[in-house]
Amino acid sequence: MATLIVLLVLVLFLAAIFTGGYNRQFLERMRNSRTWDWLTTVDHKKIGILYLMGGLLFFLIGGLEAIFMRLQLFAPGNDLFVGRTFNELLTMHGTTMIFLAAMPLIFAIMNAVVPLQIGARDVAFPFLNALGFWLFFFGGVLLNLSWIFGGAPDAGWTSYTGLALNQYSPGPGVDFYVLGLQIAGIGTLIGGLNFIVTIINMRAPGMTFLRLPLFTWTAFVTSGLVLFAFPAFTVALLLLMFDRLFGSNFFDHAMGGSTVIWEHLFWIFGHPEVYIVILPAFGIMSDVISTFSKKRLFGYNSMVFATVLIGFLGFMVWVHHMFTVGLGAISNSVFAVATMAIAVPTGIKVFNWLFTMWGGEIQFKTPMLWAVGFIPTFVIGGMTGVMLALPPADYQYQDSYFVVAHFHYVLVGGTVFGLFAGIYYWWPKMFGKMLNESLGKWHFWTFLIGFHLTFFPQHFLGLFGMPRRVFTYQTNVGLERLNEISTIGVAGMLIGTIFFLVNIIYTLRKGPKAEADAWGLGRTLEWSIPSPPPEYNFAQTPLVRGFDALWVEKEAGNKTMTPAEPLGSIHMPSPSYIPIMMSLGFFIAGFGFIVRGIPAAVFGLIIVFAALFLRSFDYDRGYHVEPEDPEKGGKE
Amino acid sequence: MAKESNQAISRKPESAMKHILSFVLMIAFTAASFFLVMSDAVPSGWVIPLLLIFAVVQVFLQLFTFMHLDQKGSAYYTIFIIFGIFVAVISAVGILLM
Ligand code: HEM
Ligand SMILES: [Cu+2]
Repeated sequence: MATLIVLLVLVLFLAAIFTGGYNRQFLERMRNSRTWDWLTTVDHKKIGILYLMGGLLFFLIGGLEAIFMRLQLFAPGNDLFVGRTFNELLTMHGTTMIFLAAMPLIFAIMNAVVPLQIGARDVAFPFLNALGFWLFFFGGVLLNLSWIFGGAPDAGWTSYTGLALNQYSPGPGVDFYVLGLQIAGIGTLIGGLNFIVTIINMRAPGMTFLRLPLFTWTAFVTSGLVLFAFPAFTVALLLLMFDRLFGSNFFDHAMGGSTVIWEHLFWIFGHPEVYIVILPAFGIMSDVISTFSKKRLFGYNSMVFATVLIGFLGFMVWVHHMFTVGLGAISNSVFAVATMAIAVPTGIKVFNWLFTMWGGEIQFKTPMLWAVGFIPTFVIGGMTGVMLALPPADYQYQDSYFVVAHFHYVLVGGTVFGLFAGIYYWWPKMFGKMLNESLGKWHFWTFLIGFHLTFFPQHFLGLFGMPRRVFTYQTNVGLERLNEISTIGVAGMLIGTIFFLVNIIYTLRKGPKAEADAWGLGRTLEWSIPSPPPEYNFAQTPLVRGFDALWVEKEAGNKTMTPAEPLGSIHMPSPSYIPIMMSLGFFIAGFGFIVRGIPAAVFGLIIVFAALFLRSFDYDRGYHVEPEDPEKGGKE
Repeated sequence: MAKESNQAISRKPESAMKHILSFVLMIAFTAASFFLVMSDAVPSGWVIPLLLIFAVVQVFLQLFTFMHLDQKGSAYYTIFIIFGIFVAVISAVGILLM
């Protein structure tokens, strides 16, 4: 409690120092400052940028943890990070990358792009959008504070309760996992809900479901998966929280609980989660490949169908992570067949990408490179997936480096390549500056080579019997050389990432300004408005007359979209400090529970309820802006 | 689209009373559930069936007052709710039977 007050006073002091002391205009000045603007924004474009920065930050932290692990595994019998420390690194790496890097980066691109692609002025619930971001951010910070306050979680990103209960993992580590992810998870759930409603309700006139760009479609299905998958995780975390904090026995077999229940709940969430992170990458690929091949996407309807089918089947395969639990031959076979079935819609997609490129005027700009690098890499990951889906074979692969190789091929080769493609492709739209092409290409090639160097040998390490999640191995069992190569490969990915960061910093200062249609090849609505778009996006809501709405107009010889409404004042939502206040409340409450400081927890919850109260009686109806006429000296 | 959704929102106004009432009821049911488990007021064989009944009642309160299943809305509500029930059933069956 005392610590909290000290912190609060410190923050106020700092605020005072940086803004020029307290006096009557203090509040006034604070309201007008740039920082305050960003902290209270409800604009989807700014929230997208915040998600991007947050996601990149955690991507770097997770990457550092990975580097530490690979350094430890460089030589047999190494003693750089051993025992518990290694377990902490491995747990935090997985958790950070999935929940705090991949998810927010996906939400970053969804925020930046989806409203523009459907011709909307904002998302359906701008307030919730901001709340979702801040909950994610504070949840992530809480999780990472574990490094300083008593040790990070060490039970794996799957946190099986056979490792995660108090008696197996003493100390607050796993509590940070439970509460940090619970808070970040609420944020994700809110975000998903928001995008479902946005895509259903906010489409411009003429934008029917079968005219949605593929990225929007995948964003829609992904949001649906978030909506239905995250509750299982919420429940699992809540039960684990009760077991660890309040002495209940849901998972303790000695007291009649069952650890298998955790595994079920975790994977009922966990498998859809892997599709949550891959589907948007599929969408990005589809948009990028069709743009840079200068062709309409091949088999659009089958692409949509495959996306929905993957989302649907994704809920019926979770047991493939539990083949070796011993659930019996029948359930293993049923889930094996269901798992292999998913390879069919996935195959449809791969062929459609290839046919889209076939005969197109391909331009190998950086986003396209990532897309082309993605296809073979992801296919390798999909193939090892089908191998793992055979229960008898999985008894051999399970818990070996083969699994590690599989999921890195799909997660890095799929999701991360997809995200990089998306970031390069839409960066001009988000920031109004083009990223540098040659730095981008260096980034691509070093990262691609480093990636394969790191993870390809891991297939064989697995087949040679190296178990995953171990901190060392012995000499003379044939594992040295491949582990060495694997560690060396990391350097490639590190150098690539550095190129990327340099590119960002360099272009933000010096980069050339981006046109509205930044690549000159734009097919979809986002390229019909200035880069970066004005706060209201579309001065006039566009009228959509076909799939690839902007391309349709270009073909018809029009330079811009036909407006669907006269020019008039536009209603905008007001910024609000409540999202950050509420998230801070959750953060304090979570921290209170972790350190078993119930007063602090109660204090945090009071802040949350105060925020809820303020929001309920907030009658602010927003404000109106007059758009600039794009035809008379508007910013186009 | 934007126009349509506005109409969808401005259907008939609802009374706040209805929401408050069902909110209070839901809190009461939750409190009653905790009471059932913590006290010995009912024989232990009855606890789980009663809890299930309370849960089902709460689901209906939730669906009808807060999720507006009683109003004629678009097909989206139904699709999403049916899919949610489908996922829940698969998960429950999976956990119970295996
Ligand atoms: C063709 C599609 C796929 C199939 C058939 C498949 C199959 C499998 C199977 C059977 C396992 C369990 C292996 C074991 O633990 O023994 C597994 C693990 C995993 N898969 Fe896939 N997978 C596919 C695609 C994906 C995709 C697209 C992603 C993510 C983008 C993914 C991410 C993962 C992860 C993270 C794990 C490891 C989880 C863990 O134990 O920590 N998979 N996959
Ligand atoms: Cu899976």
